[in-house]
Amino acid sequence: MRRVLPKSLLGQVLLAVALALLVAQGISAVLLYRASEQRREMGYANFLAFQLVAQPQIDIRQNTRNGGQQSRQLRVEHTPNYPLRPGETIDTHRVALLRSVLTEQGVVPAKLVVAQRKVADDPYVSERMRQRPDLQQQPDWSQDEVVAGLMRPGEKEWTVARFPLNGSEPRSVRNLIAQTALLFLVLVGLLALLLRRITHPLAALTRRLETFAQTRETDGQLEPSGPEDTRRLIAAHNAMEGRIAALLDEKDVMLGAIGHDLKTPLAALRVRIESVEDRVERERMAATIEDIARTLDDILSLARVGRPTDPLEITDLTALVASVVEEFEDMNQPVTFERGQRIALPMRATWLRRALRNLIGNAVRYGGKADVSLRREGDDAVIAVEDQGPGIAPAELARMVEPFTRGEGSRNRATGGAGLGLAIARAIAEQHGGRLILANRPQGGLRAELRLPTKR
Amino acid sequence: MTEGASTRLLLVDDEASLREPLAEYLARQGFVVRQAEDAAKARSALLEETPDLVLLDIMMPGEDGLSLCRHLSESKNLPVIMLTAKGESMDRIVGLEIGADDYVAKPFEPRELVARIRSVLRRASKASSPTDEDALYEFDGWKLDPLKRKLTDPEGTIVPVSSAEFRLLVAFLNHPRQVLDRDRLLDMVQGREAHLFDRAVDNQVSRLRRKMEHDSRDPKLIQTVWGGGYRLAADVRRRPADKD
Repeated sequence: MRRVLPKSLLGQVLLAVALALLVAQGISAVLLYRASEQRREMGYANFLAFQLVAQPQIDIRQNTRNGGQQSRQLRVEHTPNYPLRPGETIDTHRVALLRSVLTEQGVVPAKLVVAQRKVADDPYVSERMRQRPDLQQQPDWSQDEVVAGLMRPGEKEWTVARFPLNGSEPRSVRNLIAQTALLFLVLVGLLALLLRRITHPLAALTRRLETFAQTRETDGQLEPSGPEDTRRLIAAHNAMEGRIAALLDEKDVMLGAIGHDLKTPLAALRVRIESVEDRVERERMAATIEDIARTLDDILSLARVGRPTDPLEITDLTALVASVVEEFEDMNQPVTFERGQRIALPMRATWLRRALRNLIGNAVRYGGKADVSLRREGDDAVIAVEDQGPGIAPAELARMVEPFTRGEGSRNRATGGAGLGLAIARAIAEQHGGRLILANRPQGGLRAELRLPTKR
Repeated sequence: MTEGASTRLLLVDDEASLREPLAEYLARQGFVVRQAEDAAKARSALLEETPDLVLLDIMMPGEDGLSLCRHLSESKNLPVIMLTAKGESMDRIVGLEIGADDYVAKPFEPRELVARIRSVLRRASKASSPTDEDALYEFDGWKLDPLKRKLTDPEGTIVPVSSAEFRLLVAFLNHPRQVLDRDRLLDMVQGREAHLFDRAVDNQVSRLRRKMEHDSRDPKLIQTVWGGGYRLAADVRRRPADKD
C-alpha cells in the first residue's frame, strides 16, 4: 500500500483532492438521479391519472408543443376482466402515488392496481398496433409499459390506461458523468499547476541544501521563486547559507592566524634553545616544542579537513599505502603490508596519507605492531590496520574517534599526542565519502578499517 | 671551500622575536646575515648588495613573501627559501611554483634550515637553468612532474612515490638506457634527506618496481644488469611543464 501512495506533496494533495471531489460528485450524482427518478414517476402518475379520468377515445393526440409525447397516448381500455395478468404483482408504491393524484382530482377509486409489464406481453397493445400500423413505428411502444386499472365505486368495469416506459434516461446519467469528469479535469489541472509552482522551488531548495551540505560553498544560490511563502523560505535559506559560509570562513581565517601567531614565537623559541649548553636539556626542550607544533598542526588539520582546497585526483591507492608503510619501515618500525590487487580511485593523496600515518602510528604505539592490508569489498576499497595490543574497551570504541579523546583516559602526553589522530582519520575518511570503523579483533588487538568508495 | 665564510644571506621576517635570534644563530654558523623586517626594506637592501640566498617569511604586513619571492626569482634569479607557518602541501607547491627553491615550516629545526641553505646553494652553483629542471619527463607512456613530484601511469592514475624513490627515478630518467651501478646511483640520489636513503639501493629499486612494473619479478622498465647494476629500458623525452 505504501508503494502505491504518492510520497510527494504534489502527489498527496492531488490524490486527496481527487478523492474528495470524486466522493462529493458521487453523492451529488446520486441525489440528482433520485430527484429525476421521482420527477419521472410523478410524470407517469399524472399521465395515467389524466387518462383514467379523461378517458380519451383517440390514440394519438397531436401535441405540437411536445411532439415526442404524442405516441405515448393510447386510448383507455374498458374491460370487465381483472387488468393484471397471472403472475404480475401490484406495484404498491406506484398505486399509492396514483391514488393520491386521483384523489386530488376528486376521483376515489374503489379498486386500483398498477403494474409494470413488457409491451410484447400485452394483447391489448398488440391489438391496437394491428389496427393502427403507424403506431408500430413508434419505438416507445417496444419495451415496457406501466398498466394502471381503475374501478370506480359502483362500476363493474375496469378502466385501464397504459403508459410506455422508454427505459431509464441514459442521457442524463451520461451527462452527469461527463460533467463530473470535466469538473474534475479543470479543478485537478488547475491545482496541479498551482502546486507545481510551490513544489518546484521547494525541490530546487532541497537540492540546493544537499549541495551546500556537501560543498559549503555559497556559489549557485537560488533565486527566490514561487508563491510568497516559498520566496521567503528561499530568501531565508540564502541568508542562512551566507551566514554559515561566513562563519566557516571566519573560522579558517582565525585558525590560520592562530597557527601563524603561535608558530612564529615557537620558531623563535626553537632557535633560541640552540644556545642552551646542556645537550640533554636542549633536546627535551626541542621535543616539547615539536610536540606543541604537532598538536597545532593536528588542530589546524581537523579544522580544515571539511573544506579541502585541493582537488580529487585518480591515484594508485596500493602505491600510496605502500609508500606510507615504507616510511615506517625506514624508521625501523614493525609494519607489514599485504598487497592486494591494484586499486586506483579519486582521492586527495596528502590527506589520505595523513589518515594512514595516524592509524599506523597508533597501531605501532599502542599495539606493538601494525599489519596493513588493502583489498576491494564490493564498491569499497578497504584499508585495514591491525595491531596486537589490548584493543579498546567496547564502551569506549565509539568515543575514541571524537577529538581530544585518548585511550588511557589520562592526558599524559608521554604516550601520545593530543588525541586528535583518530578524529582526523575519520574526518579524512568522510572527506572522501568513506568511513572509519574501529573494532576489537576476536584474536585480540584492534582493527581500524578505512573504507573508501571506489565509485562516487 | 668553507661554505659559510663568504655566504651572504638576506633574512626577511616581520617578527623580530624570530628574526633576531635566527640571524644570530646563522651568524654563529658562519653566514653573513642581513635582516629586513618587510618587503620594502628587503627591496632596498637588495639594491645595495645582492645576497647569495634569501630567507623569506610568507605572511608579512604590506607586500607579502610570495609576491617578493616572485620578484626575486623573475628579476634577480636568486635562490629563495620560504619560511612559513602553514604546513600544507598546497603552500609548498605554490611556493615552489613561483620560484622558491625550498621551504621550511615553522617551527623548524635550525640545523635543518642550515642543511637546506647549503643544499640550495649547492644546487644553485651547479647552475642548470630552472626551466630545464622543471620540464616533465615522459617515458613509456609514463609521466613524471619533477616540480610536483607527481608520477602518472599510462592510464593517467597518479602513483605516489616516496622522496627516495623519486630521486632514484630521476637518476634513471636522466640516464636512460645506461647501466648505473649501485655506487653511482647512491651518489646521484644523495639529497638533503640522505638519511632516509640508508637502505640499500636494491631495496628502493624493488619498491619502485612494485609500483611501476606489471610483474615486479619480471621487470621490463627498470632492468637488472647482471653483475653491474640497473638500467632504465625506455626512451625519455622532456617537455615543458603544463601550466595548470
